[in-house]
Amino acid sequence: MQQWVVVSIIIGAYLALTLSIGLLAGRKSSDSVTGYVAADRSFGLLVMYFVTGASVFSAFAFLGGPGWAYSRGAAAFYILAYGALGMAPFYWVGPRAAALGRKFGYVTQAQLVVGRFPSRTLSALIAGLSLIAFVPYITLQMRGAGIVIEAVTDGNVPIWLGSLVAYGIVVLYVLASGAMAVGWTNTFQGVFMVIIAWSLGLYLPYRLYGGVTPMFEQIMDVRPEMLVPPGLTATGEPWSWGAYSTFIIISAVGLMMWPHLFMKAFTAKDDDTMRRTVILFPTFQLFLIPVFLIGFSGILFSGGPSSADFILPYMILETGLPAVVVGLFCAGALSASMSTGDALLHASASVVVEDGVTQFVKLDDRQRRLLMRILVLLTGTTAYYFAQDAESSLVLLLATAYGVISQLAPPVISAMYWRRATTTGVLAGLLAGTATSVFFYFNPDLRPFDMHEGVLGLIVHVPVLISVSLMTPIQNEKHLEGFFS
Amino acid sequence: MSLRTARILTSIYLALALFFVTWPGLKPFARVEPLVLGLPFSMAWIAGWIAGSVFVLYGLDRVERRYRDGEDS
Repeated sequence: MQQWVVVSIIIGAYLALTLSIGLLAGRKSSDSVTGYVAADRSFGLLVMYFVTGASVFSAFAFLGGPGWAYSRGAAAFYILAYGALGMAPFYWVGPRAAALGRKFGYVTQAQLVVGRFPSRTLSALIAGLSLIAFVPYITLQMRGAGIVIEAVTDGNVPIWLGSLVAYGIVVLYVLASGAMAVGWTNTFQGVFMVIIAWSLGLYLPYRLYGGVTPMFEQIMDVRPEMLVPPGLTATGEPWSWGAYSTFIIISAVGLMMWPHLFMKAFTAKDDDTMRRTVILFPTFQLFLIPVFLIGFSGILFSGGPSSADFILPYMILETGLPAVVVGLFCAGALSASMSTGDALLHASASVVVEDGVTQFVKLDDRQRRLLMRILVLLTGTTAYYFAQDAESSLVLLLATAYGVISQLAPPVISAMYWRRATTTGVLAGLLAGTATSVFFYFNPDLRPFDMHEGVLGLIVHVPVLISVSLMTPIQNEKHLEGFFS
Repeated sequence: MSLRTARILTSIYLALALFFVTWPGLKPFARVEPLVLGLPFSMAWIAGWIAGSVFVLYGLDRVERRYRDGEDS
C-alpha cells in the first residue's frame, strides 16, 4: 500500500472518532441558549484544562510556531512568553465575571460590558470587532488543516478538499451539540496534540543531530544570530526589540479577550475549577518547547519547504518516518487546527446573535438557537472562501487579529473594576483605540519604535477612556450597586 | 501570609516576569550560552519564568482558599 493511502486511512479514522465524540457529547446538553452557548455551566477541571489549552494552541502554534523558529529563530520565543502572563490575571477576573454571569444571566463578554454600560451601539461595536478578528483567525485554522493534509498525502488531497472535509466535520458537531461538543472534542484533541508535540520534538533533534544539545551547538556554529532574541524578521534582517516586546504585550492583553476564551468563564462549573485551570495553564504553555525544537531541527537540514509554515510536515516527510507515525502527526496537527476552529465558529455565532442581532430584534430562545446555527454555517463558508487563497504567514495573520481584539480589554476591565467609568467614556475610548490601531496597521512606517499597532491603540485608548469618563457624570448608585456589592 | 501580601507578591512576580521577558529586562539574558537542559539560555530563561508562575499561582491559591474557607465558617 502506498504511504499516502495509509496516512489517509489514519486521518479518516481520527476524524470519525472526533465526530462521534462531538455528536455524543451533545446528548448531555439541555435544549436552551445557556445549554448551547455555555454548556449549562457544567465543565469540570479536566475538560476546562484541555478546552482552554487546546483552544489557545491552534494551527498557529502547531504550524506557525515551528515556522517561525525555522525562519526567524528566537523571534518565536515571543509566542512562549505571553501565554502565562495573559492568563494569570484571569485568576481574579474569571471568577468575578462568572459571578456576574450567574447573577445577571450573561453568556458573552459584550453582555457583561453592556450590562454595566447600557448602549446598543457599544454592543454592536463589540460584536462587530469580534467578528472582524474572528474571520482571519478561522481562515488561518482551515488553511492550516488543508496545508497539513495536502503535504502528507503528496498532494493527492489538495488544500481545498482537506480543509473542506476537516471543517465539514467541525461544522457538523458544532451545529449539533454547541459548547458541549467543543468541550469534549477539545479534551480528546488536547491530549493528542501534547503527546504528538513532545514525542516529535524530542525525536527529530535526536534522529538528525544526536540530541537537543548537539543540535543547538551546531546551529550556534553556523547561524548564531538565530538563537538570540529578538531574532530575525521574515526577510532575515534583525528584528527590533520594540516589535518583539510589544508583540508579547499585545498578545498577553488580547489573549483572554478572545470571546471564545473569555466565554469559558461562563462555562465553568465553579470558580475553583476556573482558578485551577489558570494555575495549570503554564504547564500547557511549555508544550511550545518541543514545537520550537521541531522548527529548529529544520534550520541545518538540507533543502526546505516552499513556505516556512510548511516546515513541520516537511520535516516529517523528509526524515522517512513510517506512514503510521506521519498519519498520527497529521491527526495531531488537525487536532490543533480543529480544536480552535470549532471554538471560534461557535463563539462567533453566539456573539453575533447575542450581542448584535438580539439588541435590535426580539427573538425567542428557539429562534436564537436556529439563527446561531445558520451563522455557524455562514461564518464557516466565508472563512473557507478566504482560506483558498491566503498568502501571508499564519503567525502574522493572528498577530494582526490580536491588535483588534485587545481593544476589548479596557471596556471589560472597567466594567468590572472601575466604578467611575461611564458609557460615554468607554465608547470614546473604544473608538479612539480602534481608529489608532487601524491607522498604524495601514501606515506601518509611522509606528514609533516599531511598536505593534494594537499597543499604540491601547496607549490612546486608556487615557481617552479615563478622561472622558471623568468628564461625564458618574452612573447612578443603584446601578453600580448590582456590580460592586 | 495575609491575603493582601499574597496578592501583592503575585502581582510583583507577574510584573517582574513581564519585565524580564521583554526589553530591557531580557537584554542581558539574550544569549545562547550556557545551554540549559540543551536549550539556548534565553529560551530556558523565558520557560523558567513561565514554569515559576505555576508555583506562585499555586501559593496564591492556597492563601486565597484559606481566606475563603474562613469567610464561610
